[in-house]
Amino acid sequence: MAHEEQVIKPLFAKGPSLGIRLLVFAVLSAVLMVIDARFETLKPLRSQMGLVLTPFYWLADVPVRVWDGATQQISSRSELMAENEKLKAEALLLQRRLQKLAALTEQNVRLRELLNSAALVDEEVLVGELIGVDPNPYTHRILIDKGEKDGVFLGQPVLDARGLMGQVVEIMPYTSRVLLLTDNTHSIPVQVNRNGLRAIAVGTGNPERLELRHVADTADIKEGDLLVSSGMGQRFPAGYPVATVKEVIHDSGQPFAIVRAVPTAALNRSRYLLLVFSDRRTPEERANDSAEAQEAADREAEQARNGEPATDAPAADAPAQESN
Amino acid sequence: MAGVQPRNGWVIWLSLALGLLLSVSPLPEFMQIGRPLWVALILTYWVLALPHRVGMTTAWILGLAQDVLFGTQLGQNALILTLITFLVLSLHQRLRMFPMWQQSMVLMVVFGLAQLVQLWLNALTGSRPPTLAFVLPALVSALLWPWICAILRGLHLRLNVN
Repeated sequence: MAHEEQVIKPLFAKGPSLGIRLLVFAVLSAVLMVIDARFETLKPLRSQMGLVLTPFYWLADVPVRVWDGATQQISSRSELMAENEKLKAEALLLQRRLQKLAALTEQNVRLRELLNSAALVDEEVLVGELIGVDPNPYTHRILIDKGEKDGVFLGQPVLDARGLMGQVVEIMPYTSRVLLLTDNTHSIPVQVNRNGLRAIAVGTGNPERLELRHVADTADIKEGDLLVSSGMGQRFPAGYPVATVKEVIHDSGQPFAIVRAVPTAALNRSRYLLLVFSDRRTPEERANDSAEAQEAADREAEQARNGEPATDAPAADAPAQESN
Repeated sequence: MAGVQPRNGWVIWLSLALGLLLSVSPLPEFMQIGRPLWVALILTYWVLALPHRVGMTTAWILGLAQDVLFGTQLGQNALILTLITFLVLSLHQRLRMFPMWQQSMVLMVVFGLAQLVQLWLNALTGSRPPTLAFVLPALVSALLWPWICAILRGLHLRLNVN
């Protein structure tokens, strides 16, 4: 076939040999990888390219959206749909408030009379929607529809209605990537809600499992314990539910107990999620601020009582530190 | 090749874009580990059919697009796709003579090698799969090859892409 010959010829006629071209591209790729991993120079370029390629995720999701839309159309009118959407968002916001309740009750028991001074800051949140899932089944990352333009920042904690989901690891102008708790490169400092025992929960690559590292065999931890974020790494806000302990294995051959836990958040099912704008102040600043607020409140109360003899202002520092 | 004018190049790009789209489309959990290497498959067809149009440069740029899309290190998928293109180009003449099933076998080995390199690169960034399942996409892709090849050849001949 003359056509075939025409096509094959130029391969041998032009340019450097295949091996050399491979070498050039391989070196180029390696250099890019190193620069991308170690330096910040490529980040802006990357986020700009992300802007162009994000519609891909949107397009890829179209069949799912069309299907969802069709089922909704059949079941209800468009007004109802809008209202439903609004209610969902509202319910999500309310459920987040409830999440803190478990931790608060526990704290209440322990700190009873000091609690009223530990003004717990209620964080601001932003509702985001899932638009894509990482195609690599071994990494647990998702793409959400909020980005730099919405004020999302690197390392921002992400929640769903039931608990912590993960943190933002890459920001593009209108989207960002979230690393989930169960990715095997992710760890989160937690504590047992029942007794405050601290540990580190490491992702396993299994969407239904976290493992606690370096928990002593004699540690007081048992099946069914709720693990909440401890706020230790100053990345995640304290007190949000992370996981429930599923099993504790004591193996005399192992230096530590094997503790497995199931994330409370629906990591692979949630479509709407919350981005938390937690307090950016350092713990010391927060402690000082709440101590000052307490002092001011005490002074006011004293002035209100006026004639009564002044009682000592309670040591405001101690409860304030507890609030962290 | 001064005599051959590029014709209907958009078909190539459209099919490659479709490959990118398929590679990020949502799949049920159990099918995730066996996700076919759509981009590699479509690229392989065009490299085999039109080596003067689609070569390593195309593969590299496409790989970069994949990197941005997947959020991997820039250059990772670029390296993989370039490697696949290199192997396909160097086996080019034999591969075109082979019957379909034999092409599939060869491509399975090529994709398997690419997946192995992918595994090493993933291990460098810390997320490595614990099992041998990483070769599964290569197997699935090899099984899909005859169909992809037939569909693209149909398009190729009908639209007279050159």
